[in-house]
Amino acid sequence: MKNFHTLLQESSIAHGHLCPGQVVGIRMAMLGCRLIGLTDPTRLDQIKKLLVYVEMDRCTADAVAHVTGVKLGRRSLKFMDYGIMAATFINLISRKSYRVISTEESRELVPEYAPEIQGKSNQQLTAYQRMPDSVLFRVQEVQVKLNEFDLPGPTQWKAICSRCGQVIRDGREVIRDKKIVCKPCTEQSYFSDSREITWPDMNWSPVNPGADRILKKAILK
Amino acid sequence: MIKKISLHDAVGTKLAHDITEIRPGEFKGPAFQKGHTVCDEDICHLQKLGKNNLYLIELDKDEIHENQAASILARGLAGEGIAWKDEPREGKIGLHAAIDGILVVDKAALAAFNLVDEVMCATRSSYSLVKKEDLVAATRAIPLVMKRAPIERAAAIASQNKGVVSVLPLKTALAGIIITGNEVFHGLIQDRFAPVLTRKIEDLGSHVHAVTFVPDEPIRIQQAVERNLAEGCNLILVSGGMSVDPDDVTRKAIYQSGADEIHYGAAVLPGAMFMVAYRNNIPIIGIPACGLHHRITVLDLVLPRILSGEHIGKKELAFLGHGGLCLDCKPCVYPHCPFGKG
Repeated sequence: MKNFHTLLQESSIAHGHLCPGQVVGIRMAMLGCRLIGLTDPTRLDQIKKLLVYVEMDRCTADAVAHVTGVKLGRRSLKFMDYGIMAATFINLISRKSYRVISTEESRELVPEYAPEIQGKSNQQLTAYQRMPDSVLFRVQEVQVKLNEFDLPGPTQWKAICSRCGQVIRDGREVIRDKKIVCKPCTEQSYFSDSREITWPDMNWSPVNPGADRILKKAILK
Repeated sequence: MIKKISLHDAVGTKLAHDITEIRPGEFKGPAFQKGHTVCDEDICHLQKLGKNNLYLIELDKDEIHENQAASILARGLAGEGIAWKDEPREGKIGLHAAIDGILVVDKAALAAFNLVDEVMCATRSSYSLVKKEDLVAATRAIPLVMKRAPIERAAAIASQNKGVVSVLPLKTALAGIIITGNEVFHGLIQDRFAPVLTRKIEDLGSHVHAVTFVPDEPIRIQQAVERNLAEGCNLILVSGGMSVDPDDVTRKAIYQSGADEIHYGAAVLPGAMFMVAYRNNIPIIGIPACGLHHRITVLDLVLPRILSGEHIGKKELAFLGHGGLCLDCKPCVYPHCPFGKG
């Protein structure tokens, strides 16, 4: 694994700015990986051994993802919308799982650890680097029940929604009146009042960006 | 796990913890100690102490008793120069100075430690001068039984910088005292600075090599500093000439003597015009005239720290501000007052 300062620099660029949450996230990920025995989680031989659950969608989550290399699209990053500054690191081989929680005390202790630094954000940036892990985090050994449909790897299962015909992957379908239904077709959807539309330049593609204009000209003739 | 039993059913059982007795103005301590087997004769005494029930303890695998916890905590808290006995009383352990010296408290680690639930540690003020065997801190685990993990985490926090409390010995310095001022040099007035500084240095176990009187001339002050350094002094105190008058040239002289670091001004009254400089890591201290008129000044706060090996810079002088205001009490009761204890 790269050293802390390199990771902080890289993560800040990837995230868009340097902030205290980056420091906490990097340290959280470094500790989590150490606890589950991964020395360089982004290396090819380790990348498939790791699964991370983040419990917040804040700066810290981006830093955790940067250090560990976990990604939503690779199914190695899971987001649990708990609003808690915590992440669980799972070694898929040993099944060792540790939940690393950022302590509330660490926020209270910022002025103690960086008394000479002015400005809240700068003081937090410095203090969170000075605090030992024991002050910054609490750790729980946990059991995580992994569903086979949650694991990285190719799609294991596909179903078709009986109402809209949408293909549903990885066992996310639900049963209503003994029929397979996708979540948007139930009350579980995050959106409502859907209405299909058309949009300008509908035939644009990266390999033929002018296709739509050609089509329009043909129609005009 | 803790189970409550009626006092009358307790005969034959062993006490799970010390039971404290307080007789105002007369006695406070354990009337019964942990492990004592309760007998018929104890019942009346226990009732007088307000006990109608007692605890029976059956520890789970991840639990520890308050006395075990206190030992773990004391081990984490104790730094260099600290002695403690693994003999908790009422769940409490005292930490003592193992040597004469200056108490140094890692205040950030102490705050972090005390923010862990169910543990506490109270200390004397950092930079207090202490004698061997003096009590400098005490710790206890608050409940009778607690989980082991938070206790071990608290101990880890305490040990982050090799312990929360340490007692550092004061090194024996060979000091050169330089008294500046035309009025003293030309005999217009009698010097009273040298005896004050000599006593302060000797009270801290160091020695005075020589006292040199020089006029307010930078070159003469510079030469006196260089001579003292050449003669082996590893601490230089220069009095006077620290103010803003045209005749106050001590700072300039110290700068000319090759000081590689100069910090002028301290957040302390008396002592705002105090100066700490270094030449090849040898401290050169500039003491303003307040050192003559006040029994206790910034010098009394800084000199022991310098003798403990601490490097005093801008930050250290600035941080003296909290608690750095002397109330000039009559009579002066320092160190038994808030001065310098921020």
